[in-house]
Amino acid sequence: MSPDNESGLEALYGIYRAELLRFLVARTGDASEAEDLLQELWLRARQQNTGPIGNGRAYLYRMAQNLVVDRLREKQRRMVRERRWTDQETDFAAAGVEPADRRRTTEEQMLAREEVATLVSAVTNLPAGARKAFELHKLQGLSHAEVAAELGISKSGVEKHMAVAMKYLRRALLD
Amino acid sequence: MTARLDIEDHLLDEALAWQQSLESDDADWDGYVQWLEADPRHREAFDSVALVNAVVEEHAPAVGDLLAAQPTVDIPRTSRPRRWVAGGAIAAALALVVAIPVLRQADPVTTYRSDPGKSRDFALANGTNVTLSPSSAMVVTGKDAAKIELASGEAYFDVRHDPARTLTVTVKGYQVTDIGTRFIVNAGGGGFHVGVSEGTVSVVAPQSGQAVQIGAGQQMFGDDGGATVAPITPDDVGSWRSGRLSYSDAPLPLVAADIARYSGKAVIVDPSLEKSHFSGILVIGDGTRLLTDLATVMAIRISPEKGGYRLSAARAH
Repeated sequence: MSPDNESGLEALYGIYRAELLRFLVARTGDASEAEDLLQELWLRARQQNTGPIGNGRAYLYRMAQNLVVDRLREKQRRMVRERRWTDQETDFAAAGVEPADRRRTTEEQMLAREEVATLVSAVTNLPAGARKAFELHKLQGLSHAEVAAELGISKSGVEKHMAVAMKYLRRALLD
Repeated sequence: MTARLDIEDHLLDEALAWQQSLESDDADWDGYVQWLEADPRHREAFDSVALVNAVVEEHAPAVGDLLAAQPTVDIPRTSRPRRWVAGGAIAAALALVVAIPVLRQADPVTTYRSDPGKSRDFALANGTNVTLSPSSAMVVTGKDAAKIELASGEAYFDVRHDPARTLTVTVKGYQVTDIGTRFIVNAGGGGFHVGVSEGTVSVVAPQSGQAVQIGAGQQMFGDDGGATVAPITPDDVGSWRSGRLSYSDAPLPLVAADIARYSGKAVIVDPSLEKSHFSGILVIGDGTRLLTDLATVMAIRISPEKGGYRLSAARAH
């Protein structure tokens, strides 16, 4: 163990700061957003009370990657919400106005329910092999190698099934 | 979001491969950064893959539970064609009923009918484009399509704006009039449904005789008891044209009627569920999974019934 876990991750951040910034610029395509994310990464690295980290560099890259994906997800949610919000700004909706925060919670629950419904429906429409691989890997948490052993196929076979599944779900979710 | 769907397949394959390989402890982050820097489209492809992955991870427990709880009722495909014939006969009978009174007026009458499993596009003489959902029927009267009646199923209208004339569609006694919009009307489940994605239509209900304006992002459901107006995402209007049935607070009998059209099997809604509503999206596929998907999402029961299935409230545990 390093003398101090918190400063351990922070020290690693100091070492890899430049390359993490390069990664974030490449990942977001936006220099100022990258700076902003890097700042957030630093704050988190300072606060995080982690146990010993095997590969600190990979850990920081993954943290940065997760921050990017969280923002993407938030942006996508906001887009859906805003689209609905404008849709609801109509005479008829105004007649039965609800408090804005309650409506927002309802909207979020509805969005989550719709996403679940879309996923369930899409998964059941997958080709049998892709569905099985998807369920084992994404829902039951088996690794690709474990899925390959379970289904008696090669690892590249699993990858092909997963690509089919993810592309299909992508169409269903982002369409 | 639509832009993301244009991403080329091989870029998605690369993004998926990176997504997978980054999960390992000795991931090649340098190689990944170089891949991102090589082409801005790589970033876009990866964003899209990462987003789908995030949604899947977020909902994995709920999706896993629902899939595990799926009722085992499998709709046999072999009996489909025969059922479809029956459905067609009903549609034909309905079309005939509405066609008789108009025949007397000596105007040309055309009945448009769509086959099971296939929607049908056509243009009316007055410049209106119509897409009939599968297993639907519409009767058009007059040289310039002065009268249009949706006899069964659902139809999507894309009406060219022309202030000189209006178009009126009759559905179950409801009259929908517009001058340049995009909307759907549905005659299923013993009710009436109109959804507007662009412009405004005017709807006269048979009970009140009063005209109500329904604008873009609004829908109206009508039955014997009257009509209600609610919001709808404009993109969801007529989403069956791109392979999905989207509902926002739709009466269950209407949803069941749509599924019956797509699956070719009768779907009876138990009185205990007649007043239920459904919000959500169902992927149409070949139509055979719609009913089990709906039952799974709503946690309701499917039981086989003569000629089809019955939906009822789940038994108390």
